[in-house]
Amino acid sequence: MNKKTRSPLFHIAKRSTLPWYRAWAIRGGALILALLVCAGVTALLTGQNALLLYVTMFKGSFGSARKIWVLLQNIAMLLCVSLAVTPAFKMRCWNLGGEGQVLVGGLASVLVMTLLSPYLPNWLLILAMLAASVLVGAVWAGIPAIFKAQWNTNETLFTLMMNYVATQLVAFYIAYRFPKGTGTMGVINGDTRAGWMPYLFGQQYLLNILIVALVTALLYAYLRYSKHGYEIAVVGESERTARYVGIKVKRVIVRTMLLSGAICGLAGFLLVSGTDHSLSTTSAGGRGFTAVMVSWLAKFNPIWMIFTSFLLVFLGKGASEIASQFRLNESFGDILTGIILFFIIGSEFFIQYKIMLTKSAEKEEKAHD
Amino acid sequence: MKKIIALLLALVMVFALAACGEKPVENNAPAENNAPAEAPAENAVTVKVGFIFLHDENSTYDLNFIKAAEEACKAAGIEYILKTNVPEGQECYDAAAELVDEGCNIVFADSFGHEDYMIQAAKDFPNVQFCHATGTKAHTENIANYHNAFASIYEGRYLAGIAAGMKLNQMIEEGKISAEEAKIGYVGAFTYAEVISGYTSFFLGARSVCPSATMEVTFTGSWYDQALETEGAQKLIDRNCVLISQHADSLGAPSACEAAGVPNVSYNGSTEEAGPNTYIVASRINWAPYFSYIIDCVKNGQAIDTDWTGTFATGSVELFPLNEKVAAPGTQEAIDAAKAALEAGTLHVFATDTFTKDGAELTEYLADVDTDDAFTPDTNVVSDGYFHESENRSAPYFDVQIDGIELLDVNFG
Amino acid sequence: MDNKTPAVTMRNITKRFGPILANDKVWLNIYRGEILALLGENGSGKTTLMNMLSGIYFPDEGEIQVDGKEVVIRSPKDAFDLGIGMIHQHFKLVDVLTAAENIVLGLPGRLDLKAASAKIREICDAYGFEVDPNQKIYNMSVSQKQTVEIVKVLYRGADILILDEPTAVLTPQETDKLFAVLRNMRNDGKAIVIITHKMHEVEALSDRVAVLRHGQFIGDMPTKTTNAQEMTNMMVGHPVVLNIDRPEPKNPKPRIEVKGLTVRDIEGTLKLDDVSFTANSGEILGVAGISGCGQKELLEAIAGLQPVEKGSICYIEDDGTREELIGKDPLSIQNMGVSLSFVPEDRLGMGLVGNMDLSDNMMLRSFRRGHSLFTDRKTPHQLAETVVRELEVSTPGVSTPVRRLSGGNVQKVLVGREIASAPRVLLTAYAVRGLDINSSYTIYDLINRQKTDGVAVIYVGEDLDVLLELADRILVLCGGKVSGIVPGRGAKKRDVGLMMTKLGGEQAHE
Repeated sequence: MNKKTRSPLFHIAKRSTLPWYRAWAIRGGALILALLVCAGVTALLTGQNALLLYVTMFKGSFGSARKIWVLLQNIAMLLCVSLAVTPAFKMRCWNLGGEGQVLVGGLASVLVMTLLSPYLPNWLLILAMLAASVLVGAVWAGIPAIFKAQWNTNETLFTLMMNYVATQLVAFYIAYRFPKGTGTMGVINGDTRAGWMPYLFGQQYLLNILIVALVTALLYAYLRYSKHGYEIAVVGESERTARYVGIKVKRVIVRTMLLSGAICGLAGFLLVSGTDHSLSTTSAGGRGFTAVMVSWLAKFNPIWMIFTSFLLVFLGKGASEIASQFRLNESFGDILTGIILFFIIGSEFFIQYKIMLTKSAEKEEKAHD
Repeated sequence: MKKIIALLLALVMVFALAACGEKPVENNAPAENNAPAEAPAENAVTVKVGFIFLHDENSTYDLNFIKAAEEACKAAGIEYILKTNVPEGQECYDAAAELVDEGCNIVFADSFGHEDYMIQAAKDFPNVQFCHATGTKAHTENIANYHNAFASIYEGRYLAGIAAGMKLNQMIEEGKISAEEAKIGYVGAFTYAEVISGYTSFFLGARSVCPSATMEVTFTGSWYDQALETEGAQKLIDRNCVLISQHADSLGAPSACEAAGVPNVSYNGSTEEAGPNTYIVASRINWAPYFSYIIDCVKNGQAIDTDWTGTFATGSVELFPLNEKVAAPGTQEAIDAAKAALEAGTLHVFATDTFTKDGAELTEYLADVDTDDAFTPDTNVVSDGYFHESENRSAPYFDVQIDGIELLDVNFG
Repeated sequence: MDNKTPAVTMRNITKRFGPILANDKVWLNIYRGEILALLGENGSGKTTLMNMLSGIYFPDEGEIQVDGKEVVIRSPKDAFDLGIGMIHQHFKLVDVLTAAENIVLGLPGRLDLKAASAKIREICDAYGFEVDPNQKIYNMSVSQKQTVEIVKVLYRGADILILDEPTAVLTPQETDKLFAVLRNMRNDGKAIVIITHKMHEVEALSDRVAVLRHGQFIGDMPTKTTNAQEMTNMMVGHPVVLNIDRPEPKNPKPRIEVKGLTVRDIEGTLKLDDVSFTANSGEILGVAGISGCGQKELLEAIAGLQPVEKGSICYIEDDGTREELIGKDPLSIQNMGVSLSFVPEDRLGMGLVGNMDLSDNMMLRSFRRGHSLFTDRKTPHQLAETVVRELEVSTPGVSTPVRRLSGGNVQKVLVGREIASAPRVLLTAYAVRGLDINSSYTIYDLINRQKTDGVAVIYVGEDLDVLLELADRILVLCGGKVSGIVPGRGAKKRDVGLMMTKLGGEQAHE
């Protein structure tokens, strides 16, 4: 063809759906590329051996049986919060209040744990904590839900604001209970271990992990096979369609947000009863926001979310391990995580679209066929 | 395609170069690779220490510990592991347990909020010594392998206070301020005993040389929050405080002082770099003696003190060299004299005749020495004309609000 | 014609969207002083082809020449620089700005609205447009907005104009006006391409016809030498019969009785004003009117989706029992045993869920059945397969998201689902909008079959020709009021057209 014309070097075209293995090949490729870039950046900025860096990263998560347990526990916690926000997200209701819902859920557990521990047997105390956390978490999500359903307020802002209220509530509680302290609560019932979840087979985190696994399976079934799940999907795709077929949209919004908050409350309970036995304003650890990414990357599929939460936890742990081991600033770990996430999220673009180099388009097509 | 391949190649090159350019020995190579253990003595134990820090080197507080840890371990020629940025939660337990897994027989944590998790770990790993700075529970928990440590830093702060008082006197003499305007500002973290003890001893030191001195205190509700600390210092400066000190761990307050040209007394680390024209002096706890002590104890199979208090004598309480450019003339001499008197026992920081509470002299005071949830005061600590700080336990318990110090606000974070 | 130099030559143009070949080696010439009708069924690649000319898409292969010179069009700006302008189906105007402001928006240079207005008036006078440069867009009718779009393109110096289905939103009278203007521009030497699939418009307006089918160029010919039947056959690829049946209603009985229905929208604007009529079983009641005259509100009010200010909507059983529908939502109407189906105007935004597959879309109506906590997926799956088989829906399978289907197939899925429940009342809004001829006739057939089965059909349409052929009675709405109800047999297009614009038509005019 005419070579003198200046035609664009490439153009972007939308792909039809890729077979899953190619989509995952692209994601895998992105991850490898990301690790290469990380290696390059690390080598340039710090002069460390990049290979050693990855070994450290891997060791940080898998170095010992305990590290694997801790890794699993962290995955379970992140997964739990991610599961919580997923029904709302599927409904296109952006519940960014996971952080706050976890905190108030945890606070409810703490209150029950401190106030009722003298009066209840341990199993009942734990159940009471669970019930309180789930209930309070649900209420915390229910408030913005009711406002959204009734007056169409923006749930993104509302839930975000509720996070601040929750944080302040926890801060207030700590200041009120421990006025001479340093803003920490300390371990509750450290002597009696009342309200602590029992160790299964000597493993502190096993019960936590099993509970989250159960919730994952239940939520998967709920979203995929239940009538409620179907309603959520319809409302999410189109409120008008939902109304058209007689789905009570307001009720679905409130119900789904209650569920969302309840699971966040459960996460708060697991944090207090299963791991920390304490609560601070940062107990949720940003999981309410990381959950957004976990849920999105997994396309709101609870089973895929196991992998995405593993990825994010692994990256986070690896990055902080690198920072700690190599005496680099913690921000360096964040830089690495940022680079990797950039590539992973960027790979979604290449799954949706393809870049077509104008000159070689013909050849490429043939190669594909 | 070519361009993409070129890009990939470039990346691979960078990667390869990095791998080749790796030098065998680097100053900042991973800590684990440092200092192979020296040949152990016949019946001595091979000691490996694991350290848990709340933040990393960016916090003056943690930096002080990290430096001491490295110094002590290198001097002893033992292996050590540092874990930075460990929050005051279950992560602390996990970190402690991991350190045990990695063969540490001493685990140390540096933040008050780590204590409960350290106790939990101490119970789970009875063969490992758990040492915790600033904690308050060792003397009541009765766990053989759990220990607290602190230092009589109130004495160091008192000396720093003298430097501040001398500076105030100089400003009064030079006519920059009147005697009534000698107001000190103090940025504190939390309203708890360690901070209260700190600013009170500092204030008493200053007032011992500048009788007209007063003080205002503001709290940030956080150990490390650069923005809040800067803001707090600025607020105090705006309220006409002519000298600032702080007990919080960022460079917020020193930087704000340097910007405003207000003299500053620092804590935990010299902030001369951040404030060359305003920094006077800083007191600090040198943790290296304690670390050397516990290493020796484990090495020789001796028991570690449940509650260890460092002093001038142990080398734990230190003053950084004066910034002669800013300090008033004669400061060093005044400090040296006071230090000698403190060491001799002729001078007590919290001598009850030097301060009043609600207008009255303190004759007895029940302090909350044995920590419980309700903070019940349990022990009388005033006798022989002074408040016995850090004697019933290492961590400070002086929490008296004395006259002359005004708390501007209380922030619980 | 071939002795003229083409204004545009498109050679060997190929464009793919994923596996779909939207254009397959298309050749097309566009000449000045000529109106070219680009004809083809939905999905035949007309719009894609023109979008490549106007810089929205970039061809995968092939070349474009303007006035004999090869060009590369990478953006709408490139297209404008070459004098090519496209008027899209969806207008791209800023509502709160005036016509003149919209027209000069984005142009380089100093803003001089006065000079712009003068130039706009000049253009309008030259071709017979009626535009007030200072009128705000939100005060304009659809046809006025379209005019602004055309003037905007001319203002930027375009002499090759592409109009994508411009008459879809216009009344017959407005269409006539537009055609007059287009002829003026043609006579002025401009090259005009009009994308359409309405045969009578092609015959009335164009000089030459080019036909696309499945992305391929089938052929072109002067309009004079061809006829509707031939063009249709070319479009479809095989001979088709262009007749709509209208069986006599059998035993019509009142089924839906609407009295004094008044509806306001959220802003409080009166959408339906005292509307009364009766829809009978076994009969198609056509509803005619300019778009936005209350058709949507009328159907949605009956379906229980639209809050009503006053009036009554009664559902009458065969035995004479009456049920008031006002104040009920779709669910309670269904629970009352009133079997009412509704094919809404917005197929993918309301009738179906685009991202869900055929089975799941079938489930929209049935998922509540049974007391189980979980949905029954088998029945909808079977229904989907039945619909695909019986209505000849072309789809890779029942687990394909419906948004991937072409417009006609989407509508077949929707109508198939709605009639599967054996309704007593069928409401349809613009049931054949955007559908190609084959699909349209399938839909007419389906609706007629419902009618003969005794269903009361309310058919809101925009193509008057079809309404006149299909409906037993035609209810004409004008600004939310009933302008009149005329029998479908023997009604004149002109009369109904007038009733659409003026209450009561000529009578009111007199």
